[in-house]
Amino acid sequence: MNSKNKFIFAVSGVILVFVVWVYWVSTSPSEGAKSMVEFVAIDDLFDDYENERVRLGGLIQDGSIQISESNLLDVHFMLDQDDESVKVHYTKTRPDLFKDGAEVIVEGVYTAGVFQADMLQTKCASRYEGDLRDESDYSMEEIEI
Amino acid sequence: MIPVAGAVSLNLSLAFAILTLFAIGFYIRNNDYRLFLTGQRLSLASSGLSVISTIILTNELILGNFDLDYVAHYTSNETPLLYKITALWAGQSGSMLFWLAILSIYAIIVVLQNRKEHHSLMPWVIIVITIVQLFFLGMTNFVTNPFEPTNADFIVMNGNGLNPLLQNPTMAIHPPMLYLGYVGFTIPFAFAIAALIKKDASSLWIKTIRRWTLVTWLFLGIGIILGGWWAYLELGWGGYWAWDPVENASFMPWLTGTAFVHSIIIQEKKNMLKIWNMILIILTFTLCIFGTFLTRSGIMSSVHSFTASGLGPLFFGFVILILVVSYGLLYARRSHFQTEKQLESFTSRESGFLFNNVIFVVMCFAVFWGTIFPVISEAVRGTKITVGAPFFNQINIPIGLILLFLTGVGPLLAWRNTSKESLIKNFTIPLIVAFISAGVLLALDIRGNAMMTLSLSGFVFTTIAIEFWRGIHARTRKFDESTISAFIKLIQKNRSRYGGYISHLGIVLMFVGFSGHAFDIEDEWGLQIGSKETVGNYDVELAGLSEEERPNHYAYIADLNVYTTGGEFVTDLHPEKRIYFHRDPNPDKRQPHSELDIYSTLTRDIYSIFTGVDPKNQVGYFKIMINPLVQWVWIGSYFLIIGTVIAMWPVKRKKNELE
Repeated sequence: MNSKNKFIFAVSGVILVFVVWVYWVSTSPSEGAKSMVEFVAIDDLFDDYENERVRLGGLIQDGSIQISESNLLDVHFMLDQDDESVKVHYTKTRPDLFKDGAEVIVEGVYTAGVFQADMLQTKCASRYEGDLRDESDYSMEEIEI
Repeated sequence: MIPVAGAVSLNLSLAFAILTLFAIGFYIRNNDYRLFLTGQRLSLASSGLSVISTIILTNELILGNFDLDYVAHYTSNETPLLYKITALWAGQSGSMLFWLAILSIYAIIVVLQNRKEHHSLMPWVIIVITIVQLFFLGMTNFVTNPFEPTNADFIVMNGNGLNPLLQNPTMAIHPPMLYLGYVGFTIPFAFAIAALIKKDASSLWIKTIRRWTLVTWLFLGIGIILGGWWAYLELGWGGYWAWDPVENASFMPWLTGTAFVHSIIIQEKKNMLKIWNMILIILTFTLCIFGTFLTRSGIMSSVHSFTASGLGPLFFGFVILILVVSYGLLYARRSHFQTEKQLESFTSRESGFLFNNVIFVVMCFAVFWGTIFPVISEAVRGTKITVGAPFFNQINIPIGLILLFLTGVGPLLAWRNTSKESLIKNFTIPLIVAFISAGVLLALDIRGNAMMTLSLSGFVFTTIAIEFWRGIHARTRKFDESTISAFIKLIQKNRSRYGGYISHLGIVLMFVGFSGHAFDIEDEWGLQIGSKETVGNYDVELAGLSEEERPNHYAYIADLNVYTTGGEFVTDLHPEKRIYFHRDPNPDKRQPHSELDIYSTLTRDIYSIFTGVDPKNQVGYFKIMINPLVQWVWIGSYFLIIGTVIAMWPVKRKKNELE
């Protein structure tokens, strides 16, 4: 084997090992379980995903936030997705932007009628980075002409 | 009136850019040198106008001219001056203009610097830069114009103000640094394309772009590190890197850029790997544009993204265009860039560089795969999948460890081939150190990746230390110098080599910092005044709660005392819960914000977040994290930066070199 081929062989070997490695991490169910999570719709959640770890995205229903009297970290709220909604229970630190109408993503498991979330993220408040084409989120002081 | 001048100079800049292409295009056809001079001046004029337009927008932001939609969106009367300026890159259209302005400044420098050099390449360099400028000029003129007037039928008295999360001094430097890095790769890319077109396989132009590349690569690195630092200090989740799509977007060009700054050394010294270098620089530049695209298009949901906008398809088209044209050109010209020289041995410095390059690109691909996997999955299978940090960590830790190993081995290999004796001489002590530290770590019950990382760090650290010791020892004997002056002279005499070692040392220290992540501990609870909870080896006591109204927010301030579980006082911490816009009659407009407090030492950080307050019952809710070794990440960064600066510092002329 001449030296050029030897190196092509070695580099291809490195790349092959790597491809196998990526494939293994991407598909291995035991290790990959928490690293790749599916986003599902609420109506699919009830039928197909009970007791499975998934992500949901939606809006917090106005007036649905119930914070426990004894533990401020303990919260129940309704997550809306168009017409569907699901009750969510969350007991960790809430992001600063958590409030009625906020767009949130939760990750957890749906069991016995309640979605037990252990991860909750809010999207950036529309106040700052709203759709630039949408004037409805203007909140500037007005003076009528 | 003045904003109109901004918009007009943006229009004129576009017109001049088009004229530049015509002038230089005709020069290339007719070889009339006057046309080339005209082209250069047109390019300078176009760039100058872009810069002027950016200055005008900045001025409007400072003055608070809310007739401009952009100004009304991102500043308010209450916004402090510094953040009125940083609002320039807070939003989409402003950041596009900012990109253009930096590219224009770079273009001015390149054109002026090379007036008398690279006569055959420069016309094409200017053409490539101008085409990139045209893309951003098109964006800012027609798609997302920052000089758009406010669309409201009332007089706007005050703007929205800047997101309090962005009101942090780090945030004032992080985006410009990243942009300086992203944009800077345009210049080496332009030289590479020019060299391809002119079939210039010499390494002359490589010398010209080496320093550009290092400076750019350094800016990108600083930008990434500052981003992590800001996240750690401000976002309050206790980490500095989350494998967020936008972080990945900046990390990918850094990886290929790192490969490139290594492999151009080979082209400079050995005139090898020429095609490979072309592949790398094209890839790096494309990833820079792709990064801007990821950040600004909203294709990924991430903390950075601006909501969906019309920019996506345009950027995507531009990325594809760059890839097809550049690689097409490279394929057509491949025969001119092949080398006869071959790699001779696996234990040569050349092959060390080659494998370092392959691994960097492999890592870049792994990050790319994880970043776009959700998009592909949604397109192919219709299900949306999120790829989290565990995936990236699992994939990248082994690759990172191989890189760390090569960091130690590569520089000690000789060019062409390394003799067995030299291998034994160079690596015996480092290997012994590695095995001893592995043994000690195992005895301390530190296993897995942390053990591997720390013992490999010991290995690399020893190789670097021996190199310095040998150099110093040789000088003290030969020139009768003191150790310190020998150390300084050693670095001065061979900046790129020892600068490189110092950078590598920085990388080692950063890896030490990363390894601490395996031992992070966190807990969260509600505390009444006087009560105590335990996290790890520490007791945290809430000693008091106070409230204070400040100019633009209302703050609840906690007074926490931290003791060891043995009862020894460690520190006090004062995290705050702030409410911005607290005077707004609409509660929805009030903006809570947790200002955290960190007690940082070389061994561990105690990180406190005030998560919630119940003023009625005088209960505060806190999240406390114990993060070991984090400070080493920042210390390593300093070494990385200092080493790079030493490596790229201009060498004095030969005359002065001879003492």
